[in-house]
Amino acid sequence: METKINYEAPEYYENRELSWLKFDSRVLSEAKDKSIPLLERLKFISITSSNLDEFFMVRVASLKDMVHANYKKRDIAGMTASEQLAAVNQATRGLVEAQYNTYMRSLIPLLKKEGICILDAHEDLTEEQAQFADRYFMESVYPVLTPMAVDASRPFPLIRNKTLNIAALLANKKSKNKETVFATVQVPSVLSRLVRIPSNKGNITFILLEQIIERNIEHLFSNYKVLCAYPYRIMRNADLTIDEDETPDLLKEIQNKLKMRQWGEVIRLEVEEKMDKKLLRFLRTELKVAEEDIFHIAGPIDLTFLMKMYGIDGCDELRNTPYTPKAVPEIGQGENIFEAIRKGDIFLHHPYETFDPVVDFIRQASVDPDVLAIKQTLYRVSGNSPIISSLAQAAENGKQVTVLVELKARFDEEHNIVWAKKLEQAGCHVIYGLVGLKTHSKIALVVRREEEGIRRYVHLGTGNYNDSTAKLYTDCGIFTCKEAIGEDATAVFNMLSGYSEPRSWNELVLAPYWLRDKFLGLIRREMRYAKEGKEAHIIAKMNSLCDREIIAALYEASANGVKIDLIVRGICCLKVGIPKVSENITVRSIVGNFLEHSRIFYFTNGGDPEIYMGSADWMPRNLDRRVEIIFPLLDETLKEKALHILETELADNVKARILGADGNYEKIDKRGKTLVNSQELFCREAEEALPKPSGISRERCFIPEEQHGK
Amino acid sequence: MASHVFAAIYIGSYEVSMKVFELSVKKRIHEIDYIRYRLDLGRDVYQTGTMGYETVNSLCDILSSFSHIMSGYCVEAYEVYTSAVFRDSANGLFVVNQILLRTGFSVKVISNSEYRFLSYKSVAGRMPFEKMIETSAAVVDVGGSGIQITLFREGSLITTQHMDIGTVRLRELLHADGQSLKLYEMEIQEYIHKKLEVFYSLYSGTRVNYVIIMSDYCEALMKSMEKKEEENVVKADKFIRYVEKLQKKTVEEISHELNLSNDNDPLIIPSILLFRSLVQILDADKVWAPGVNINDGIAYDYAWRNQLIKGTHDFEADIISTAQNLSKRFHCFSPHIEALSKLSAKIFDTMKKIHGLNKRHRLLLEVATILHDCGKYVSIANSARCTYEIIMASEIMGLSHLEREIVAMTVLYHTIPLVDYEELSDRIDQDSYLVIAKLSAILCVANALDQSHRQKFQDIRISLKGKELIITVESLEDISLEQALFEAKTSYFENVFSKKPVLKEKRVYSYH
Repeated sequence: METKINYEAPEYYENRELSWLKFDSRVLSEAKDKSIPLLERLKFISITSSNLDEFFMVRVASLKDMVHANYKKRDIAGMTASEQLAAVNQATRGLVEAQYNTYMRSLIPLLKKEGICILDAHEDLTEEQAQFADRYFMESVYPVLTPMAVDASRPFPLIRNKTLNIAALLANKKSKNKETVFATVQVPSVLSRLVRIPSNKGNITFILLEQIIERNIEHLFSNYKVLCAYPYRIMRNADLTIDEDETPDLLKEIQNKLKMRQWGEVIRLEVEEKMDKKLLRFLRTELKVAEEDIFHIAGPIDLTFLMKMYGIDGCDELRNTPYTPKAVPEIGQGENIFEAIRKGDIFLHHPYETFDPVVDFIRQASVDPDVLAIKQTLYRVSGNSPIISSLAQAAENGKQVTVLVELKARFDEEHNIVWAKKLEQAGCHVIYGLVGLKTHSKIALVVRREEEGIRRYVHLGTGNYNDSTAKLYTDCGIFTCKEAIGEDATAVFNMLSGYSEPRSWNELVLAPYWLRDKFLGLIRREMRYAKEGKEAHIIAKMNSLCDREIIAALYEASANGVKIDLIVRGICCLKVGIPKVSENITVRSIVGNFLEHSRIFYFTNGGDPEIYMGSADWMPRNLDRRVEIIFPLLDETLKEKALHILETELADNVKARILGADGNYEKIDKRGKTLVNSQELFCREAEEALPKPSGISRERCFIPEEQHGK
Repeated sequence: MASHVFAAIYIGSYEVSMKVFELSVKKRIHEIDYIRYRLDLGRDVYQTGTMGYETVNSLCDILSSFSHIMSGYCVEAYEVYTSAVFRDSANGLFVVNQILLRTGFSVKVISNSEYRFLSYKSVAGRMPFEKMIETSAAVVDVGGSGIQITLFREGSLITTQHMDIGTVRLRELLHADGQSLKLYEMEIQEYIHKKLEVFYSLYSGTRVNYVIIMSDYCEALMKSMEKKEEENVVKADKFIRYVEKLQKKTVEEISHELNLSNDNDPLIIPSILLFRSLVQILDADKVWAPGVNINDGIAYDYAWRNQLIKGTHDFEADIISTAQNLSKRFHCFSPHIEALSKLSAKIFDTMKKIHGLNKRHRLLLEVATILHDCGKYVSIANSARCTYEIIMASEIMGLSHLEREIVAMTVLYHTIPLVDYEELSDRIDQDSYLVIAKLSAILCVANALDQSHRQKFQDIRISLKGKELIITVESLEDISLEQALFEAKTSYFENVFSKKPVLKEKRVYSYH
């Protein structure tokens, strides 16, 4: 008899932090890719850097907390927190090294070739440039600097999280005493890190702000002699929020421990490679950093400034030609959007297709006299969001507007409170999230009173209602006025407003209560079909896959003959190629110019395919601790479009990387194959789908106005 | 606007709910929104006797938020009903007033019979209903305290009975301390069976085609049984098999399987046991869970009253057929009753301008006529009192409590002299007193015309002439008995209407 396989065995799983680091290094590989324009490559360096910062503040901080709390539970891959920390530390060092290698050894020389120079040592300045830098320092920088020295009467100052600082060792000029004094000064974050300085004709030269300060540091400590000065940066476990992916019992445990501990432990110290040993030792003791948490950086600290570099004027030939999202063919220019939706469900694929219809949906609703109510969930919105102003406008026009604003959206909290207040002032009914749950679902409902009665129009999406990110993130959405979905949408908002859940749902599937079971049920159904000998195929596209139960179900399905193709951009705790477990599973990751963000789930269902889209990844937090919506595509044309996206991405051999049995992601061998770059293909297709201007009657003529006042 | 938007709000003992409907001839009653909010009014009322400050506050808050939602749909009309929980609360009346002052909602407190009728209307308003009752059907409204069984045969209502085997009561009654679930289930089963068997032997006797169960749980049960079935109809044996399968599971498992929002619903076990017994004992062929509740009934009632939709079911026919069946039960349904019904109706119609009563009163008169002899089954000497008690103890689906009182008193006071209003003022209002006087006077005269119970008159013509109500009869037989007694019975009529009934005879001679 065959032994039963335990699909939840830790050896079948990859640790999620290590998997994430692999994702970040995939982003870094884009920076190494010679076929990509230079400034685009710089952008990827910057993204790797900011990604890593967030990773440290959230994930590494969380792991540190676990260690402090003496939390012994093992993760999905059977690792304890301290084992994970050690592994993460090692992997991060590798990543950072590769990052700086790429930046310093390939990109800087290439930039130089293009006549762009980023000086990271003030010693390299020419006479003229030095003069400029000194003047800039005295006029703009000096007034905002706050140097702080440490001695018997002045304790070590509070160094703020993620800020760049310069540490210096000073010697008193007058005193005979040989003792050195430590001083630190923050590189002001109000000023641009990149300072453009004069250079030869045709060239562009920048210097980093900290270099200008370093050069003039004597001015800050006039009674002292500056022995040495180096930049450094710390990362603190500052926010004290525990990452919600951890188990609830952990949360309690940590909260209890935390009360006793001083806040804001330093979890990473970055210093310049050549920093003075004495200075480093001082920093280390004062900041209480462990040796393993010190990163010696071979280049400028904090590469996020390269994003600014990406946006410099001119040099367009060093960037991709910007892509303008194309119109959605089903919605004519200036057409009433509700009329368009009544003709049939509409599929949207951003950023290939424009996000405008979604903005228009709310805008038109806000002024449409037949519209009674608008209800929407908002998670992250753009700075000057047209959706927010339309919602406010609608409320002022007497529509009933209900908005659920998720205040708990990480890093966006303050931003969200400001405009939530604005909406409230305009007369909207604002719900500030739900206790204990983050509302991650993306749904908008417009109730309209028409000739035939009340009709509900619904937009459902995979991405946030954010018109800026919609130009960079690939997301899908649908418009529909199908009654079954309209009823469900109403029920969603009733539920979010604190009323009882509906007795049952028509089409929508919601987390945290129903979604996990739904997905498990769908996977198991494919497995039953496979056992019956029918074709069984799952294609799922998402950002992250790290839910143990789902992965175990996928393993079991694969073991029973279901073909499973996964397109997972980020974390993937599933391992491929395990004999008898995951031989039928492929995993690919697409990292391209646009951030892959849509979630699409395809199930063959014995020949009657079902496709779902939605806001949830296959992660515990999405399935258990968030309000998420997954919706089925009901119309054949919509299903075809979604399937086309999946199939094209599965065919991608330019930007896709395939996960191997060794846990590494490798690009596909392109020899003898037609190149398929899915993102580029989608761009072309969106262009081609536009209605062609009809060839006939192109003659120019005036159109007389027939109706007065129209 | 082709459609009319209506909101039906019901304040129940554990939940406040609102359904928003579009009412139109084309779509009939179309539900747009259903909002429920859990508020345990019952706990307050049944523990302390009154609704507490906090509870009233939350109730008003919920109602205000409902009014916000209503304005979002541009609701044209609404009705707010409540029942037992307000009736049982010592401060119910004050709370009604508080709600009016704070939220502007005027809440109507309805009696149990009105509640039952409304909830019955919600089913009867559904399309498949008429087809189901064509053969035979039992509508069972499952509530917390009791169940209401309404039996139909060949399209007409046979009887409606209340039985105190509601789900909450079952749970309380057999609250098993340390008993095994199995034993507990057997006890409940036996208890339900005993109660239902009485009903079965008295009324049903033969199997019914459909059992129509009105309960949220039953709907959930159906949903998880028949994923695709639109109408929620299943074969009885399949239903029983499914319940048996469920019974083997734990409460958590059942709740999960039925997708209930509460993981550990204490009412689920008594509910499914009750459903199973109902289906078994009524020996049903099919089970239907229409998935409607009191809110739908409120909307149907409103739409029907305002002629926004066409009614598919004749509720007045239900009332008449219940009365007839009741009359048969007491062995007093006879040709005499039919003759009397015609007679009293004729007098009522002729007197229309004099009495100023409406169609509904005519129906009450008919019911009173049908039931006027029931008491004789119990006691011939004391028949009037007994009839009164029988009517008051019987449920007639469609009659409100007050209407039942009017019918019973009409019957009572057509035999014994009407007492002063003051003596009845604790039971009826003045208007109803007048109605009783008028109806009983008419019934009294009509009865006098068929004193022999032999329907001697062939043809009766009734007309008003001056201060007289002239009743011209044709008869083959000697009517001296009627003639002699008539005079004695008419003074009451004269008192009430200021018209004197006069009996004129037109003798028809037989040629044989």
